[in-house]
Amino acid sequence: MADFDRESMLEMFSFEMNQLVDQLEQTIIGSESGFSMEFINEVFRIMHTIKGSAAMMLFDTIATATHAAEDLFYYLREENPEGVDYSELTDYVLACMDFIKDELAKIEQKVPVDGNPAPVVADITGFLQRLKGDETATPAVASAPATAAPSSSTKSSDNPFGKHKYKAKIRFDENAQMENVRAFTIVNNLKDYAMGILHEPEDIITEDSIEAIRKNGFAITFSSDVSYKEMFDILSRSVYIKDIYLEEFTQESFDLDGLHSYFVKMKFDEGALMENVRAYTAVHNIKAYAEYLLHVPEDLVDETNAEVIRKDGLKLDLVTTKGYDELNEMLSQTVYLKELSIEKIKHEISEQEIAPKEMQEVKQEEQKQEVPQETAKPVVAPASTPVPSVPAVQDSQSAMPKKSAAQAVISVNVSKLDQLLKFMGELVIAEAMVTQNPELEGLSLENFNKEARQLKKIINDVQETVMAMRMVSLSNTFFKMNRIVRDMCKALGKEATLEIVGEETEVDKNIMEHIGDPLMHIIRNSLDHGIESPERRRAAGKPEKGNILLEARNVGSEVWVIIEDDGNGLNKDRIMEKAKNNGLLKKPENEYTDKEIFQFIFMPGFSTNEQVTSYSGRGVGMDVVNKNLEFVGGSVVVDSIPSEGSTFILKIPLTLAIIKGMIVHVAGCKYTIPIVSIRDSFRASTDDIFMDPSGNEMITVRGDHYNVVRLNEFFGLQGDVKVIEDGIMMIIENGDDAICLFVDELIGEQAVVRKPIPKYIKQIRGISGCTLLGNGDISLIIDVAGFFDK
Amino acid sequence: MSNIVENDVLMESGNSTDSTKNMYLAFVIEDEQFAVDVGHIKEIIGVEPITLVPRTEDYIKGIFNLRGDIVPAIDVRSRFRKPEIPYNQLTCIVVVFYQDYILGLIVDSILGVYIIEEDMISSPPNAKLSYSNQFVKNIGKADDGIKLLLDLEKLIFDI
Repeated sequence: MADFDRESMLEMFSFEMNQLVDQLEQTIIGSESGFSMEFINEVFRIMHTIKGSAAMMLFDTIATATHAAEDLFYYLREENPEGVDYSELTDYVLACMDFIKDELAKIEQKVPVDGNPAPVVADITGFLQRLKGDETATPAVASAPATAAPSSSTKSSDNPFGKHKYKAKIRFDENAQMENVRAFTIVNNLKDYAMGILHEPEDIITEDSIEAIRKNGFAITFSSDVSYKEMFDILSRSVYIKDIYLEEFTQESFDLDGLHSYFVKMKFDEGALMENVRAYTAVHNIKAYAEYLLHVPEDLVDETNAEVIRKDGLKLDLVTTKGYDELNEMLSQTVYLKELSIEKIKHEISEQEIAPKEMQEVKQEEQKQEVPQETAKPVVAPASTPVPSVPAVQDSQSAMPKKSAAQAVISVNVSKLDQLLKFMGELVIAEAMVTQNPELEGLSLENFNKEARQLKKIINDVQETVMAMRMVSLSNTFFKMNRIVRDMCKALGKEATLEIVGEETEVDKNIMEHIGDPLMHIIRNSLDHGIESPERRRAAGKPEKGNILLEARNVGSEVWVIIEDDGNGLNKDRIMEKAKNNGLLKKPENEYTDKEIFQFIFMPGFSTNEQVTSYSGRGVGMDVVNKNLEFVGGSVVVDSIPSEGSTFILKIPLTLAIIKGMIVHVAGCKYTIPIVSIRDSFRASTDDIFMDPSGNEMITVRGDHYNVVRLNEFFGLQGDVKVIEDGIMMIIENGDDAICLFVDELIGEQAVVRKPIPKYIKQIRGISGCTLLGNGDISLIIDVAGFFDK
Repeated sequence: MSNIVENDVLMESGNSTDSTKNMYLAFVIEDEQFAVDVGHIKEIIGVEPITLVPRTEDYIKGIFNLRGDIVPAIDVRSRFRKPEIPYNQLTCIVVVFYQDYILGLIVDSILGVYIIEEDMISSPPNAKLSYSNQFVKNIGKADDGIKLLLDLEKLIFDI
């Protein structure tokens, strides 16, 4: 495995695993009350995929844990037992998920993946045993991971090969990448269902085979007890498959093509030695005549298999045009041969195709010395297709509508989207530079202007689409909270439902990443501090089951995420007391408004909980809320009514990259002020201005006092406008603070693409970035928070 | 001036490759001739409109728009604590990239591209007599005189 590009494989692995785990977790929590058959199948399938991938990447701990869970769901699927405690079952499955998540985190952090799956496995197998104990009548078959069909009496006892012989050709999507790994996964998955798997190219460990697989597809021959339809399903489960051609060898096709199917068993003399090499020679000799050839053991190069052959012999599953006698003669020539048995096999065709007449033929099966009269028959139709081989594309569409629906969505690297956005911004500017080119001035350009408008319209449409592409719905993040509520309720002995509203609201991908954590902390806080125990709720005349509302809605250019609980509310006095003890008060106690007091809970290390529980009390959580929101330019507002509940409102900008800005003129430079921060703008007169004792200018607007900041002085520019009457006053707010900003003139409102200031220039207070205007000029974007820093 | 290479070479200059080995772009600051490895040069442009960025060092003249990329402009005269002069017809911005930094160096004028073989490059004297000397990494001898090879790393990271 060392030859692989393990880094990128790991990345892909953890990406796929995380997706599967998330998907699984959501489905499980959604159906804690009872599992439908469809659901059990889905869990089984996901578990199986996780197990296969983990085993392939040599993460045994994950494979072991999922294997146990897979067994359990296999049992549920096959036996459909009654009276299962689904809540308990959910606990075990979630524990298993958590274990996998921990291990995945270790993989991502590149630390040894060393978790101990034993407790998880013990829980699950224990549960399984109990289930089985209840249902004594059912045979214990659950330990086998395969969908083993009922064992067939029509084949001889030591024939290891399956009833059906298959030949499959799989082609992968053009952009699948690492086809050899994909192929390896398929082979690995098949091992549970099939025997004697042979594939072409033979070497899928090294990357050399990628090219061959891309060109010719990946061909596999194997035998299995699984029916054609099931086998097709099994193969289709793999990802990135473009099409599958699966062909089953049936008696009918044998008859048509004049083929015979044999089961051969060979043993070598005791003193022969190197049985694997002898077996290899025998196989090699016969290969040329075989239409289809499988052998057990599969690997004849590996010397350890010499021992296996010595003991159990070499077994061949063979389809050839040669008659029995011919074959016997050919194989007898093998040196050191001790035993040779050849069985002629008649094949059932897939169950659904079995006609009564053919059923009789099956009985002839074990006639070992059947006269090889068919050898004389010419090969009738070599090109004819064996019976049930449906072109894969059609089949996959009809059999699995889910899969084709999933293909309507592709995953794109975020960096590509970022790049697209960057180009989009440039396109907008380039368009303005062309259509507003100074050289066009004074010309009468009726047609040009018409086409220019059309161009602008198209560019606007493209821009909207580009922005829309970056938007992701909050539903994933929201539904993850279900798990937190469930776990915490169980642990704290509380009862609460999570009501989710407006989860389809979308925000920019970059912002999305920063709101998962704040949400989690606020919900934990609500459950731990807000929602009371059922007894206390009953005493207070509230319904025993608490309610947490998680709502998202669009408000202007912001998205508000509202978390509302009907718990006890925030304890204002306790918060105040704690703030006093921590020396956080900056003005007299009685001057603090409720909102200001509640804001204290977002200070680092602030917790009114005397006891540190496993969920809260360390004072870390709410601090994260503030930090993350500040990072995306959002804010949080808290409100609370004692004994009725608390409301947290997270105000999040829709997008980081494109903002609506007001372009203003100051000392010959253009600055952009985010529209969201502008409360008001007006023309003031010198008389409105008064000085505070330290000489700072102040102004009173509608009864509120504001500090006046002259932007040109703040930035140390040579301002053109010194007289208050000539300029414009703008009230700029940041959270609850506001100042009055004095600028030379307003130019206009425009949507601008925010670009960072080149990193060679160190961070400048008051400036958050820059943007390109339509004429190619650069405008600096004002960082409103910069005016409020102490 | 026999070894001056046509400026066309610059059009395809990426990182130091064999085709640009030992090639240096020379420019003038006051009365000294400096040179930068061609492998670090993105392009040479005339003086663009530069947007002033407040609260920065004097030698950072601001930022300009290079086909959608925002590039800081550094007045090399000012950086070397030499008296500034008004920009004129000869003034150029040499856009250099170093690691993942891109900067525009405002220089008095461009001399051209020179090939300076490795054996013609020597270390500068230890004594740093003028302020600008500390940005000189090596001294190269070209046919028409000495070129001071600029230490881009020091220019970028020393504040």
